[in-house]
Amino acid sequence: MLEIKDLNAAAEDGKPILKGVNLQVGAGEVHVIMGPNGSGKSTLANVLAGRNNFEVTSGEVVYRDQDLLDLEPEIRAREGVFLAFQYPVEIPGVSNLYLMKTSINAIRKHRGEEELDAVTFLKLIKEKAAMVGMKQEFLYRSVNEGFSGGEKKRNEVLQMALLEPRLCILDETDSGLDIDALKIVASGVNALRSSHRSLIVVTHYQRLLDYIVPDFVHVLAGGKIIRSGDKQLALELDEKGYGWIEEHAIAA
Amino acid sequence: MKRAMDGLKNMQSQLDTLVAPGAEDYIDQFNQLQDRLPGSNIDWLNDQRKKSLARFGRVGFPTLRDEDWKYTSVRAITSKRFLAEADQGDDDRTVDLSSFAIDGLESHRLVFVDGIFNPVKSSISESDEFKIESLVSALSRAPAYVESLLGSAMQDNGHGFTDLNNAMYKDGVIITFAANEKISCPIEIIHYSHAQLSISQPRNLIVCGQQSHGQIIERYVSGNTNNTLSNSVTEVVLEDGASLDYYLVQNQSSAAYQVCGIWVKQSPKSRFSCHTITLGGALVRNDLQVNLDGPEAHCDMLGVYSLTGRQHVDNHTVMNHVAENCSSREIYKGVLDQRARTVFHGRVRVYEDAQKTDAAQSNNTLLLSRDAEVDTKPQLEIYADDVKCSHGVTVGQIDEKSLFYLRTRGIGEEEARALLTYAFVNDVLNEVKIEPLRQYLEAVLRHQLVNAEDGEPAGEHEKIR
Repeated sequence: MLEIKDLNAAAEDGKPILKGVNLQVGAGEVHVIMGPNGSGKSTLANVLAGRNNFEVTSGEVVYRDQDLLDLEPEIRAREGVFLAFQYPVEIPGVSNLYLMKTSINAIRKHRGEEELDAVTFLKLIKEKAAMVGMKQEFLYRSVNEGFSGGEKKRNEVLQMALLEPRLCILDETDSGLDIDALKIVASGVNALRSSHRSLIVVTHYQRLLDYIVPDFVHVLAGGKIIRSGDKQLALELDEKGYGWIEEHAIAA
Repeated sequence: MKRAMDGLKNMQSQLDTLVAPGAEDYIDQFNQLQDRLPGSNIDWLNDQRKKSLARFGRVGFPTLRDEDWKYTSVRAITSKRFLAEADQGDDDRTVDLSSFAIDGLESHRLVFVDGIFNPVKSSISESDEFKIESLVSALSRAPAYVESLLGSAMQDNGHGFTDLNNAMYKDGVIITFAANEKISCPIEIIHYSHAQLSISQPRNLIVCGQQSHGQIIERYVSGNTNNTLSNSVTEVVLEDGASLDYYLVQNQSSAAYQVCGIWVKQSPKSRFSCHTITLGGALVRNDLQVNLDGPEAHCDMLGVYSLTGRQHVDNHTVMNHVAENCSSREIYKGVLDQRARTVFHGRVRVYEDAQKTDAAQSNNTLLLSRDAEVDTKPQLEIYADDVKCSHGVTVGQIDEKSLFYLRTRGIGEEEARALLTYAFVNDVLNEVKIEPLRQYLEAVLRHQLVNAEDGEPAGEHEKIR
């Protein structure tokens, strides 16, 4: 599905953030990326989605036999890459419904499928909204405008459920959520798990992993993946903190 | 003898210099035309016209030295010779208005071609809800009635263009909304500019009877790309408890000039909402002046502009809070591409007796090009102590984070830009209460924004990316 090879990326001011990231994600796998603040987790997620305020200085990302870094963000999306934002953007004046209809039809058109008419779309979106526990009134409001932190994250999961991507990247989707919202978001994510869909879950805290059980856990620190393991690694991290693993990495 | 002649010539040239630059030609046109102007047999009207003309001769057209015209040069207008009696060319019955129809809009329609009421193109059915009469007809039928209305909402003499209109208007419309009646479908006034170098100067009077509810859509359109000038003056009087929704839609060609003056007088508990929507024109100047004369009156001034090329719009607003307990809300929003310019001047004056005034004003502009320009000037004058007044101005560009967000949802860059641009003005547009009109405006705007790339050759102006 996805292969990241020796990926280096810098911020706009030239400061290197990612310093040789290697990661392989197979179809149907759930990978969790953990790490201390400033380790480059969100940068990795944004680079994969095509944000242009990071410069990829070297390395390669192959997504389903394509050079992902060569594709515009909208093409990546149409090819099935989805980024759930850490801070979803408020867009006053564009209704949530309009965004999602335009979005799904852009993707369907790219796949050579027929665009959904208004009635079919409405039926579908209401179904998905119920799945992630979103009240219908939020569909008619401007995108994320005046939504609480939890509602914004729920809206991201709703979009993900609607667009049915092949590769989901969740950037700290759990941050800022209370435990109830976390459960709902996690159950939405779990409902999307399938043998042909891969997930990269970026998180700061172990608690999300009580609800989303990963196949692999990676620790990103100083712009590199310094340790990989299974869900046990997350538990160890939770117990001993990132300091333990960083010391370990230096020692090794 | 020769010396005496020279002396006379000198005196003559001194007199000439007393006439403001650019005014002379219009004074000549007036002198030729005056016997054929409507109501030329009415003394008070002739007096009024001559007084206005004399003032116009003294002050002339505004210049950049006038504080109220600091950012709007009218040289493009004064350097041309507009004619009050321009050659109509073809018969005006060939004027085709079908392309200007708004889908699904039912209206009482009045059509003016180059400023003259055209009964053939108009369709007005009799109704108890209102009375409509052309100014020409009213002047011959009931001149005293017209006299009683003229000037009843104007608090000042305006500027040179106002004087020119007052001296030379040839037609216009008088609309009276009957007391206690709610209009069932809007009155649509279409001003169609047509003949090369024609000047249209409609003079309109609108009276909203007590507790009446009226709706007017006034549209300015061009039939071609001739240079035309429209210089209109409209007075609106709202009696106690009356309400009026007024939609001014300006969508003329990039060769058309427009100066539009609206004076409004509001009685107690009246409600006036004015939507000024400018989608085209070479140079558009709007003067909107509202007097909240009676307690508990409310006024909304809403504006949307979307301009490109070298188009220029100047919205000059004056909100006079004269009486207590009145509220006003002013929101002007627009989008500028290429070398377009906008000027916003918003004066809010709260008189000493106007306690408990609640006035809010904002002007927000989105710039799509580095060469577009905004000059905005809020001006609050508050003489009462128990009031709530706010104002705010923003000038910005498309938010890169929003753009990225939309693109990660599979929406192409150009479409995402158009969507965000449209969204910027959407909240103001959503206040248009006549649904077919709102849909029409939305379609025109979307079309403009999606086709924004096909304007002037690239390289002449730098896009903001």
